[in-house]
Amino acid sequence: MKMPNALSPIIRISKYTLTDEIRQKSFIIMFVICAIFILLIRGCYQGNYMVNGQALDAETIIRVVSKLTFHIIAVGAMLLTALLSMRVFRRDRDDGMQSCILSKPIARWQYVGGKILGLWALSVIFMFSLHSVVFISASISLNAVMPEYLIASLLSSFNLLFVVVAVFLLSLLMSDIIAFLCVLGIGIVGLVADGIYALSHSQMAQAMIGQAGPQSDWTWWKAVYYLWPKLSGAERFASSFIGGEGFPGFGSIYPLINVLFYILILGTLLFWRFRNEDII
Amino acid sequence: MEGLPPHNAPYFSGAPSAGAGWILRCGIDITGRDKYTSRMIELNNATKQFGSLTAVDNVSFRVKAGEYFALLGPNGAGKTTIVKMLLDFTKPTSGSLSVNGLPSTNAESRKAIGYLAENCHIPPYLSGWQYLQRCAELLNLSRVDAMRQCGRIVELIGMQGREHTKVGTYSKGMIQRFGLGAALIGNPKLLILDEPTAGLDPIGIREIRELLESLKDQGMTIFLNSHLLSEVEKICDNAAIINNGRLLVKDAISALVKDNDTLEDVFVRLVKGQDENA
Repeated sequence: MKMPNALSPIIRISKYTLTDEIRQKSFIIMFVICAIFILLIRGCYQGNYMVNGQALDAETIIRVVSKLTFHIIAVGAMLLTALLSMRVFRRDRDDGMQSCILSKPIARWQYVGGKILGLWALSVIFMFSLHSVVFISASISLNAVMPEYLIASLLSSFNLLFVVVAVFLLSLLMSDIIAFLCVLGIGIVGLVADGIYALSHSQMAQAMIGQAGPQSDWTWWKAVYYLWPKLSGAERFASSFIGGEGFPGFGSIYPLINVLFYILILGTLLFWRFRNEDII
Repeated sequence: MEGLPPHNAPYFSGAPSAGAGWILRCGIDITGRDKYTSRMIELNNATKQFGSLTAVDNVSFRVKAGEYFALLGPNGAGKTTIVKMLLDFTKPTSGSLSVNGLPSTNAESRKAIGYLAENCHIPPYLSGWQYLQRCAELLNLSRVDAMRQCGRIVELIGMQGREHTKVGTYSKGMIQRFGLGAALIGNPKLLILDEPTAGLDPIGIREIRELLESLKDQGMTIFLNSHLLSEVEKICDNAAIINNGRLLVKDAISALVKDNDTLEDVFVRLVKGQDENA
């Protein structure tokens, strides 16, 4: 079956992006180190843990450790994705591939689309493979499969798409390392905003606010909480599926919608910016 | 070029008969309307400004199909900017450019173009063969066609036996040859070459010239950006000279070079004359 004409260059460019990154020894080494680290976590499943003087059962331990590992892998994958994304355009330019591709009858949106797709696919494969290692280990230890673990992994892949698009856009406007740091900053500010919002809604904080009178102004943080890219919120939403907690309700889907909205906005800006970019 | 068959000898067997079209020495089919389209390249008052600097200033000229055209000028004259505008690598500030009858901003116009960049770069982790194959795939050629064309191109550029080694081990001249090979994939009607002999030794320069002459014989339109005036004089039909972004002259080489002058004399006289007037 022949691919539609507009789609075929995108698929080809994404294939080249993916294979060129995998070709890098540093990528393979990083993947192997991560996989070994994840396998070592299996040791935690066998430990004896006490909480408030009560021993935890093996199943609880496995579920908690698996969930914790889920977050570590997801955050690690986001960092790796940002690191890989920041030099994609520059390397293509330096290697002459950008001018080679764009001197062919390929539109700029197809080139950018191929790059986004290739790097996103690579990051998702990286994260999904590591999550699969945990999924298999946990399933063997529990004697039961946790398919929700893999669903959660796929859901958190939208965060990776956000990182790819954001770093690509920023790397066109500033130096690569600054683009990386900016996206890192976006993630950290989102996490802090989430933390402050959660703190402000804790009983202790409510009591303190009540004592201090009505002068406390939380509106600013509320605005940041709702409008800032909610990477950590989307991550929490995805992980809420793990452990048989079930669908957490439509209210908690907001972070995912927020991230998708930002992907759309940043993606549009990226395509518009690259359309006017001078090719060297 | 080393390993090149003599002129007019087929580079590969199995070419269809003459009735099937002009399938030529390197598999280039120039049958169709483009052979007879008078304007392969057209610039209408093209201007490009980078801030306060005017790199190309209101330049207009046409290049006919089948012409061997040279764009000459000193460093920083605006030659590469014109090439980049033709390829839509940079947008003109004003004016318009078209290739094969289509606006240069239309990606389809690049179907007609084979492009060799100045200081050609190829990813060092690929082999020459993989690079050519990528170029063929990007043109949407079928796998069989891509393999066939890559094989012919490797022969044409005289790189048999080295095509599967990594580009990182190639010399500048070898990279340039693969760059030229990549430009020839897909049977382009127009070949845009930006300093194709840059960094090559005299033997390499001669080999590239012979290859370009053979392409000209096949009716391909060639747009050459070069500093090597003696080479241009030997092989080009027409030339334009630009300086400080302005078009000084565009004419047939035979009309430009008169009496005992060389193209170099004409070039120096025109460029210096404009500089002094400015």
